[in-house]
Amino acid sequence: MMKTRNMVGMAWENLKKRKLRTSLTTLGVIIGITTIIGLASLGEGLRHDVNQRLQQGFELDVLIVIPGSFASGLRGFGFHQGDVANITTIQNVTLVTPMITLPTADVTKVTNNEKLGAFTVGAINFTEMQGMLPQRFRLLSGGHFPNATEKYSMVLGNKAATLSNAVIAGVGDNVTLSMRVTINYPNYTYTYTYQKNYTITGILAEGGTSGLTNFDYWAFIPLQTAEQISGIGENFQIILAKITDPKVYDDVSNAIESKFPQYSITVFVPSSFVRQVDNILNLITIFLLAVASISLLVAGVGIMNIMTVSVMERTREIGILKAIGARSRTVLSMFLTETILIGLMGGIIGILSGYGLSYVLAYGLSGLMQFQQQNPNPQGSETQGITITPIFSPEWTIIALLFAILVCVIFGLYPARKAAKLDPVQALRYE
Amino acid sequence: MPPVLEVKNVKKTYRMGKVTVPALRGVSFDAEEGEFLTIFGPSGSGKSTLLHLMGGLDRPDEGEIFVDGSNILKLSDDSLAKLRLTRIGFVFQFFNLLPRLTALGNVELPVVLADVSEKEASEKAKEMLRFVGLETRINHKPSELSGGEQQRVAIARALVNNPKIVLADEPTGNLDTKIGGEIVQLMKELNKEKEQTFVVITHDVTMAENADRIIYLKDGLIEDVKEASRKNE
Repeated sequence: MMKTRNMVGMAWENLKKRKLRTSLTTLGVIIGITTIIGLASLGEGLRHDVNQRLQQGFELDVLIVIPGSFASGLRGFGFHQGDVANITTIQNVTLVTPMITLPTADVTKVTNNEKLGAFTVGAINFTEMQGMLPQRFRLLSGGHFPNATEKYSMVLGNKAATLSNAVIAGVGDNVTLSMRVTINYPNYTYTYTYQKNYTITGILAEGGTSGLTNFDYWAFIPLQTAEQISGIGENFQIILAKITDPKVYDDVSNAIESKFPQYSITVFVPSSFVRQVDNILNLITIFLLAVASISLLVAGVGIMNIMTVSVMERTREIGILKAIGARSRTVLSMFLTETILIGLMGGIIGILSGYGLSYVLAYGLSGLMQFQQQNPNPQGSETQGITITPIFSPEWTIIALLFAILVCVIFGLYPARKAAKLDPVQALRYE
Repeated sequence: MPPVLEVKNVKKTYRMGKVTVPALRGVSFDAEEGEFLTIFGPSGSGKSTLLHLMGGLDRPDEGEIFVDGSNILKLSDDSLAKLRLTRIGFVFQFFNLLPRLTALGNVELPVVLADVSEKEASEKAKEMLRFVGLETRINHKPSELSGGEQQRVAIARALVNNPKIVLADEPTGNLDTKIGGEIVQLMKELNKEKEQTFVVITHDVTMAENADRIIYLKDGLIEDVKEASRKNE
């Protein structure tokens, strides 16, 4: 058998002698691999970006329990302290805290009656909330969370203290909380306006990203204070449950559901949501790659075509090689080495241009997103433009290179075998 | 000493569609080590078929062929390839050089195929090219060489692995008389110097006259064998 180095050298010489043909055949592989790598690294980048945002937006170890179900239009009863205690007993649950939301409430500054940016007012247990969402419940310096005696105190979300980017309320300022409260009696309803002054004790640090637990536009008052408001009482709209590990979410959410009548509550599991989104993105990436792989197969057919022609053209040469003592396997290896070299060259160039392509695509997509964002959402919601950074993945690089070579070997095998099987006498007669 | 080549009652028939063409109808002869043997005959006499069979490129329908003691009918394809590589050298009428390789590359090829390092192959090939008088033309491609030069390259390639037998198929058939004569002389010299057995198929009288023995082939049978008077000169 010929030495590999000689074989490769000879194959390389043969390819070099047919520069145009070789480069066109290689171009097919380059296009295939460029598409695969381009889409793969873009897909990975997108997945990474979306995952990061989701993880910033949701605490993966916190389950959110709300009354009602999607089937019943999420309109349901409120939870009570007993429900909180019930959930606390579930295994792997470390902390449970309820929340009352006061959506109709307005917060205005006492001095000039200016309305603050707060959309929602929530009543919470500040200590428990800090334990529940330590990343989110961080105060800007100079503030503090209200203690038990500071009954009429308020903590503002980062953006709630501002109006059109100007800070209009700070720690120590007095604000008025006003809202319409409706009390349902068996035979009639009674509505009154609640109005009370509160003192701001702290401003939360910026949450930044969108998500269910972004409190930038929220204002918080102590839970006990809200419970004492006539018509509000002990009526929780949300219960947050912290679990030991995001992986046990399934067991815990089932356990919570079993504590309540069927379909009467909904457990929102951020990590399952994140996982779903990840699965979908994965599926999209794989789909794109499958489409891209077709172009590589087309390149493979091109290789088969060219190599078959090449074998025909070199029939006499093959006859000579066999006459002077080349084994069939040597002839086979010679032709296969040529296709492998094409795969290797096409693969390497394709990988490089693929990463190039992914940056071009990422740039183009970011531009498109920014264009769409020129009409900002009137709610001023916090969706930032997606800037995808393509991710260089060593796995994909190796897979793509192996795939390129594999395709070349598979499609090169038929012509190479054809060459190896040529009858030397016939081949020598071939004109 | 046993003969280096033994051909025993070899028969070969070609089928072309429904027509069967008997190319060889029972040919037997031996060749001694160092002998210069020519097989002389008109076209269609089965000369080329015989050469292909002796070179292990094809297999006979009947009969046996021994090359350097081994029955080539019993060899696997790979062993046959190895036999061609190490024991047999081919010289063809149309030279059959690889057009994209230089003279040196062509002569190196059998050495490289025999798994010898490129450096050693190159040295052996250069020496062989010097032997055939082409030391100044080693980097020329076949298209840049004359017919006589191309045939010299082909002879160098046939001999570079130091084979036992050199099989030549009308080596002067594509050359003019003068150049053909030079090639005949070269082959004679090599035969004398290296003591390799030459079996040359020809209908060139000069070539035949220079041989130790002439086998006349006609219609697939040996018609006559003539010992050259010059053999023991």
